[in-house]
Amino acid sequence: MQKKTLSLIIIAILGLVATVTIYFRTNYTEPLAVITQIKTTTRTNEKDQYDNRDQQITQTGTLKLLNTNQRGQTLTFTNTYDRSQLVNQRFQQHQRVFVQVTGNKATINNAKRDWVLVLAVTLLILLIVQIMAQKSYLVMLSLLFNIIIFGITIRLDIWRNGTNPILIYSLAAIIFAVGSFLIFQGWHLKMAVMLLSTISALLLAFALSYGIMAVTKEKGITYMAVAYATQSPRSLFLGQTLLGVLGAVMDESTDIVTSLNEVLEHRPDVSTKQFWQSGLAIGREIMGPLINVLFLIFMADALPMTILYLRDNNSINYTFTYTLSLGVIQSLISAIGIVLTVPIATLASLLLRRKQVQHE
Amino acid sequence: MSSLNVLLIVLLILICLVGGTAGLKSFFSIIINFLLIFLVALLISWGANVWFTIICFVPLKLLTIIYLGTHDTKIADRAFRSSLIVTILITLVILGLDYLAQAIGVGEQASEDLIGMSMAPGLNYAAIGILVAIFSTLGAISEAAVAMSAGLIELKKQKQDLSHEAYWQSARNMGQDILGTAINTILFGFFGSCLALFIWYTRLHYTFSQIMNDKLFVQEALVIVDSIIGVLLIVPLATWVVNRPTKQN
Repeated sequence: MQKKTLSLIIIAILGLVATVTIYFRTNYTEPLAVITQIKTTTRTNEKDQYDNRDQQITQTGTLKLLNTNQRGQTLTFTNTYDRSQLVNQRFQQHQRVFVQVTGNKATINNAKRDWVLVLAVTLLILLIVQIMAQKSYLVMLSLLFNIIIFGITIRLDIWRNGTNPILIYSLAAIIFAVGSFLIFQGWHLKMAVMLLSTISALLLAFALSYGIMAVTKEKGITYMAVAYATQSPRSLFLGQTLLGVLGAVMDESTDIVTSLNEVLEHRPDVSTKQFWQSGLAIGREIMGPLINVLFLIFMADALPMTILYLRDNNSINYTFTYTLSLGVIQSLISAIGIVLTVPIATLASLLLRRKQVQHE
Repeated sequence: MSSLNVLLIVLLILICLVGGTAGLKSFFSIIINFLLIFLVALLISWGANVWFTIICFVPLKLLTIIYLGTHDTKIADRAFRSSLIVTILITLVILGLDYLAQAIGVGEQASEDLIGMSMAPGLNYAAIGILVAIFSTLGAISEAAVAMSAGLIELKKQKQDLSHEAYWQSARNMGQDILGTAINTILFGFFGSCLALFIWYTRLHYTFSQIMNDKLFVQEALVIVDSIIGVLLIVPLATWVVNRPTKQN
């Protein structure tokens, strides 16, 4: 207990020191400045071709450069933003910003935000240590492992320039699954059962969905709407779908296998029929909410654009096609994977029961 | 028929085969959830106050996800209570971090998608950012709440004479197992959601500090952190909420 309190205090101190250090960091290639004075000078009402009313606000003030060879110099700046803050934004006094210098004038390019990420991660690690106790380093190790493999997968995708997405991302999925389960569960029967269930459910669901897409000739899939596409949007979509559902299928397999294992520990004499029904009962309870997890992640992301499309008098049909339809298809494929996992994980758990019986 | 429709029909068939009427309810919970999201988008585009929309729709979404997705009302009750408390806590975290980060609106990467669109639409994008963050975390929070409650109640059903200590010990084990992968669900959900964005950063040779200060990246990273914090908080809260009524009996 005391050891945990000590590590929490140490992490809190280290995290705060890191946050403050990054906040005051000036060593960037871009010019960095701090806003010393700022005031709102003009407010103009504006109206666009869609009859949207907004207000354009101009801020003027001075800022002090914090790096480059002009360090310490005070420059004037003007910032114009719309009240909506869709593409431009309001700045505040004492805020640290990246600027572009022309003569004795500066233009604000971007706000400095990296220190907030450090603060957020500190908060996250504190909570992980508090709640996961001695298992906390496993969670952090698994997060780190997954981020590294994700980075490698991206490099691989760019190297192959978006060809063979199914092969690349299926392989990546298997490595992700094996690695995560090994780190978090260690190598034992329960983990093997989880892994077996995850990989078979993922591949089965993807094969089924891909088959459906092939049979329907991918009709109505608007690949054009893939956001931030720098390569074949179809390959991006397939990769996103395979990766997106993997975590959920792993989660569900773990939940079902873990719960069935707990049941076995407390009642080793449970019958196969009861066991099967327990598995389906647990699965039934989680599958709906689990589908909604991914659905909300995929949908919420598209919400700002959807609102803008609707605001600009686009029809519901058009808006759906260009902002939400891909997320919906991705969610449907994920949902099929999540549903298929329930019987597959329960079947796989029967292996646990056979082991248990042999023990007696 | 379009791919979307066939996928929808196949899902309906599978979900009924596996879950029976409970599965059918889950299916409708997803449909209703979609309609609610679309309704939120419509209302805001018509000029509804975003803060007011958040206050109305967040509990409504929790209700539909949990009560329609879960056929056992006992599990649903406990899960709803714990997830509502956690959602309120996480909203405070989101408000704090988003205020500090000042990552409002859409990123520069979206400029191509914005061609022909209104740049000054008369909406409150600072509040829309908060709405997006809360909505993204809702699913993960309620899922963890249901998984914890379902596991704990199933355990209590299988073994009724469980001591207080044994219950908390089992809950802790269950929580640690569930958390490890609930975090993966969130992480991979976001990998699947932001793959194109990360390929963009890599292909366009963004430097590390450029990425760390980029509006869009900071938005996404904060939502991941918020979601994981929410899921972590569920474990003690759900254990406490499930155990509470037993004391009264």
